[in-house]
Amino acid sequence: MTTTTRILTVDDSPSMRALLNHALTTQGFDVAQAEDGMAALDWLALNEVDVVITDINMPRLDGFGLIERLREGSRHRDRPILVLTTESSEEKKARARAAGATGWIVKPFDPAKLVAAVRRVAH
Amino acid sequence: MFENPILPRGMRPDRGLAPGGARPERVTVMQGQALVSNDPNVEFSTVLGSCVALCLFDPEARLGGMNHFLLAEPPANSSVSTVDEYYGTYLMELLVNQMLAKGARKAHLRAHLYGGANVNRNMMRIGSANAEFARDFVAREGIELLRSDLGGGNARRVDFRPASGQVRCRTVEDRFAPPVQPTTRPAKATGDVELF
Repeated sequence: MTTTTRILTVDDSPSMRALLNHALTTQGFDVAQAEDGMAALDWLALNEVDVVITDINMPRLDGFGLIERLREGSRHRDRPILVLTTESSEEKKARARAAGATGWIVKPFDPAKLVAAVRRVAH
Repeated sequence: MFENPILPRGMRPDRGLAPGGARPERVTVMQGQALVSNDPNVEFSTVLGSCVALCLFDPEARLGGMNHFLLAEPPANSSVSTVDEYYGTYLMELLVNQMLAKGARKAHLRAHLYGGANVNRNMMRIGSANAEFARDFVAREGIELLRSDLGGGNARRVDFRPASGQVRCRTVEDRFAPPVQPTTRPAKATGDVELF
């Protein structure tokens, strides 16, 4: 028996969320969306998810803060978290890694590569 | 004469933008670029044929930005639309992120859109598709679009003063809009994945 992989996408851009939703749902993933880190924490408090894909630059709570908050507790300590960002600096990539990110994907993303990464970290 | 500043109704633009009456420093925004400034001495300028320019302005931060793009057909493995929306959304996000990094707030952003003319019969479809993409992006992001001058058959020259939000758009002879090719993703911008 197979179960659908559930993904939470976190990005303050509705356009980017729409692209992610299209790229992932057409490959059979179950996708939920949050507009920033705070909305993601609220959603994750009530729902289960297999993979989180998050932007870095967001209002209220950015991607770094979201990763740190999720890693603080036991519930999401091992949850795969992929960062999807326009940032290209090695310093920020290192910061995401230190905070506990599982992977780093640079925009503009390639749908096929994104899907492959999600499948790889989801199991 | 500059008209149609990107300001909320009732707010007046600054006049005499360059201190001491000096002529502003004109900075050309080339295809593929996104520039942001709060310098009252700066004027962004660009000439658009089929290309599209998005001008953003935060009237509270007194900060503006302009980009200039012509998206290519999407990759062969994509069925999203007639232009490369993945790359286009990325280019737009670069401009928005530069604005936010310099102190703008997304809820304050106001937009103007220019270009997307059908100056070249062979590129008619791509020009119209780029204009449609830009309109859709601004609408999806919830950014108030104060003015758009898109489509038609003439090239345009756009001058934008980022610190005041003043915009001047004039039609120009097509010869001033040199033929351009759509911007395709740089070879390095392939969405590479690095797992830690």
